[in-house]
Amino acid sequence: MTDLLNGPDPLAFEPTSLQLFRFSAATWNPHLIHYDSGYAETEGYPDVLVQSHLHGCFLVEVVRRWIDGRGELRHFSWRNRHFAVPGDVLTCTGRIVETDGDLITLELEERNQEDQVCATGSAVVAMTSSGEEPS
Amino acid sequence: MIPELYEQCLPLVGVSTTEHLGRIEPLAAQRFAVAAGALQSDAPHPLLLSSVMGWHAGPDESELYPDGTAHGFVPGVPLEDVRLMGAGQDLEFHEQPRMGSEVTLETTVSDVQLKHGRSGDLLLIHLTRRYTAADGTLLTTCRETFIAR
Repeated sequence: MTDLLNGPDPLAFEPTSLQLFRFSAATWNPHLIHYDSGYAETEGYPDVLVQSHLHGCFLVEVVRRWIDGRGELRHFSWRNRHFAVPGDVLTCTGRIVETDGDLITLELEERNQEDQVCATGSAVVAMTSSGEEPS
Repeated sequence: MIPELYEQCLPLVGVSTTEHLGRIEPLAAQRFAVAAGALQSDAPHPLLLSSVMGWHAGPDESELYPDGTAHGFVPGVPLEDVRLMGAGQDLEFHEQPRMGSEVTLETTVSDVQLKHGRSGDLLLIHLTRRYTAADGTLLTTCRETFIAR
């Protein structure tokens, strides 16, 4: 069982061109750069790009799985730092940086397989349950 | 070109537009979660509202910009000759929307900035989006910056 005090477990995502296509479809995002590799090359990229919002989804998933029904997400932010393409392995981590009553602040980071930071973020969670088993 | 766009954007700072987005359709919300690689939940994914780029049918393909993007991204500003990138979002979650909630969006151009980067001029467009439920309850506030170059 995840220990709240230790913060979230890391999560690794390996986006595929199929995932990017489905994410573009689900968000009604017609930008060619996410599904047309020929177009992406004209902008100087090696392949289609992981959507900005999908980087955000990867980071927030670390927090969602950690909360696991024991609290509510009150704030989440992220910044894109480096592009990612299909085949990259994006490892998302989170660590607790502040605890104030029921509010827990986490810092988040997404790195690729070459240890480049692709996105950074933060989250504030209002815990409604400690998650500890009753003694 | 970027400095001219900056001049066009300046009068829009502080201007708000309101759009009725319609219902959060459960199937669309579940598809979003699947595509995002997220755990399914009874509630819409926290990034659903601020990630969906179009809530209506959208324009005909012939009306899209050459890079595939749609007009009206920043209300009233033509962005067909620039490359636009999302730089991230800052989200405050006030109330959890439900599947089926009716949502209205108010978009405000909160600031525009002209920057001179190594690779040329950059235009930063800062938007504040407020998503509200049918009864006026504020659901989510999203602050987002777009880079046009």
